[in-house]
Amino acid sequence: MTKAIVIALNDLRRTFRRRVNIFFVFVFPMLLILVLGATFGNSSSPRLGVVVARSQPLANALLRQLQRTPELQVAVVGSDSALLTGVERGNYDAGLEIPASYDAAIAGGRTAAVSYLARPGVAAQRVGEAVRGAVARQATLLGAARFAVAERTAPDLPAGLAQARRATTAVPLVSVTQRVAGTATFSQTPGQFDQGAWTELLLFMFLTALTAAIALIEARRLGVPRRVLATPTSVSCLVAGTTLGRLLVGMVQALVIIFGSALLFGVTWGQPLGVAAVVILFGLVATGFGIAVGTLFRTEQQAQGVSLLLGLGLAALGGCMVPLEVFSPTLRTIAHITPHAWANDAFAKLIGDGASIGAIAPQLGVLAAYAVALLALATWRLRRVLVAAA
Amino acid sequence: MTEQPARRPRAPARAALLIAEKDLKARIRDRSALIFGILVPLGLAFIFNAIFGGVSGNSLAISLGVAVSDHGPVSQAFVRQVLDPLQRSGLLVLHTEPSAAAARSLTANGTLRAAIVIPSGFSGAVLANQPASMTVIENASAPVTAQIVHAIAEGYTADLNRIRLSVRTVAANSPGGLSPARIGQLAARAAAAEVPVAIRDISASTKELDNKSFYSAGMAVFFLFFTVSFGVTGLLEERNDGTMARLIAAPIPRASILAGKLITSFVLGAFSMTVLVIATSLLFGASWGNPAGVALLIAAATLAAIGIMSLIATFARNAEQASNWQSVVAVILGLLGGTFFPVSQAPGILSKLTLIAPQAWFLRGLGDLRAGSLSVIWTPIAALLVFTVVTGAVALFRLRHLAEV
Repeated sequence: MTKAIVIALNDLRRTFRRRVNIFFVFVFPMLLILVLGATFGNSSSPRLGVVVARSQPLANALLRQLQRTPELQVAVVGSDSALLTGVERGNYDAGLEIPASYDAAIAGGRTAAVSYLARPGVAAQRVGEAVRGAVARQATLLGAARFAVAERTAPDLPAGLAQARRATTAVPLVSVTQRVAGTATFSQTPGQFDQGAWTELLLFMFLTALTAAIALIEARRLGVPRRVLATPTSVSCLVAGTTLGRLLVGMVQALVIIFGSALLFGVTWGQPLGVAAVVILFGLVATGFGIAVGTLFRTEQQAQGVSLLLGLGLAALGGCMVPLEVFSPTLRTIAHITPHAWANDAFAKLIGDGASIGAIAPQLGVLAAYAVALLALATWRLRRVLVAAA
Repeated sequence: MTEQPARRPRAPARAALLIAEKDLKARIRDRSALIFGILVPLGLAFIFNAIFGGVSGNSLAISLGVAVSDHGPVSQAFVRQVLDPLQRSGLLVLHTEPSAAAARSLTANGTLRAAIVIPSGFSGAVLANQPASMTVIENASAPVTAQIVHAIAEGYTADLNRIRLSVRTVAANSPGGLSPARIGQLAARAAAAEVPVAIRDISASTKELDNKSFYSAGMAVFFLFFTVSFGVTGLLEERNDGTMARLIAAPIPRASILAGKLITSFVLGAFSMTVLVIATSLLFGASWGNPAGVALLIAAATLAAIGIMSLIATFARNAEQASNWQSVVAVILGLLGGTFFPVSQAPGILSKLTLIAPQAWFLRGLGDLRAGSLSVIWTPIAALLVFTVVTGAVALFRLRHLAEV
């Protein structure tokens, strides 16, 4: 047993002595969490670019109305051409140009035309409805004020606006009531970097475990197992040591990513006991999978290629790149053949709902079953390969 | 006398081609270029397309329940003039529900994303100037969708309120009050008044790659940086293996040795990109755009990748170190350049920072190519060539020492 631990620690040391591994195991995942959070973490609301051609009271009031609209993220853009390029390239979901003549047209009793810029498609149509709603709300007051001017109860538009505002409090309005049904996916809003952090943790733990495949082939090429087995060391001991070594690499990686993302990006990880259970079980699953795959290949290039495909492919299917909530129901069912999907569900409960370990028992059960099956397969295959190599 | 000047310039070029040919054969034999240049990017593009092809999040039509217990003109107008056109345009899919309770339970279980409930007596209350309200029921997991539905309903009620408020404003400021008949006339005039703000729709062209093309192009250009590194790292391999000394001892100009390696890189990069363009177009229906433009962008991106990867190789002591550092740089530039997800759409500084990666310029070029003619790609191409010239010049300067064994 001590020998197995020595082998494992040696494996750990060998892995991290190569500086490039430090980059891919620790630095790159953190970088991805940062860029993902900065790109998508703030809000899922569509982005509307707005150009106010001339800063005037009514144009600014429309801008404020848009900014108050909860379903929109408004960005003020400097020029019409910048807005057009931004919309075309997808930097904004849509754009609105408030012309320089906006105030004058309204004061003069004409219709002020604002231009709504969007690419064809349903996504832009949704933004369009939000913009239309905000414009209609502005138009309510402006329309009443203009009507007062037209009917000569107000001398000019500012006076009309004042009258309309006073009337607002007295008139019973037609309203829209909002009610919520069902339960939210996340009862607490996850922080900007939270979802990115747990999904990348899973993706990279699995990917790192898959590099075990490459390490195994390299060790065989260098004749390490043969030399170890020449010493009074049993095959079981070598198998245990190799497996434990890969698990240790995964655990060190998880610890660094969890504490690193908490310290650097303020990620809240939920109940420590629950997080530890998910991470350890997922680490066991990944280790088993990585070693089992590693026994199947001859050359390091083959193993590298397949590791990348499997590591990224399973992560994509398991909801580590695009959240499972937006998958179609069929695809979501298929996704649950991956351990990633179960671990993602568990993290969603722990971090999104603030649940404790009891609530994720089903997910932990599935992960444990995966771990047992894959580790059994891995140790059986590894034993055969090591004996053959010796 | 006549032969000498004609033969001399040809010999170095032939030597370079010979070296390239030898290297290319070696790369084909060890399959690494095939695996990382073609199979892995193609496999990943396939996986991402298969999984995310059907995931379109925001672009799906909203299934909206409509429970109207009121048969008056105001609610009928709302359904016919507001909701029906939105169903025809593809934004909504309307489901008529018999009761508010039915709409609510279907929204709660997620069958409907949201529901609009109009209570009986709504039209009557609106016409009689009484308080009136319609209800939007949202699914708790779909707040953004619900807000869109809310905006649609508010847009309609805001119009009703404009007429109401218009009449009220005038009535409240008319000395001595107004007769009901006069109020009726006012309401008719208010309803007919020109709307103060109208929205003019302008359709912008799309310079964004669709999902299929994005994953194909993103993966292709991400792996391009690995593929070209096989060529330039060859220089270090020759040195490690001791074959560099022999090459230098041979009557070949040193420039030919370098040129041979660069030709290897270019051929590997451009060839694998071409295979990927054809394969992703045929297999997944990726649309890359104007072939001439795509060819130019590929050539420029390959050169930029060679420049950067060569520069990094000049800092390494051996081939393994070079390939480690190259993969670190390729991965960082790939991430920043938006090959995994569109970083250019990030808010703030990140959308500018992405332009330090050649990958971003390549993808932007492809995006622009979708909307415009060939003339739009000169900026991305110029940017890619700037990367090539700057990194290439520094690399060449540093390589003076590399060839000295």
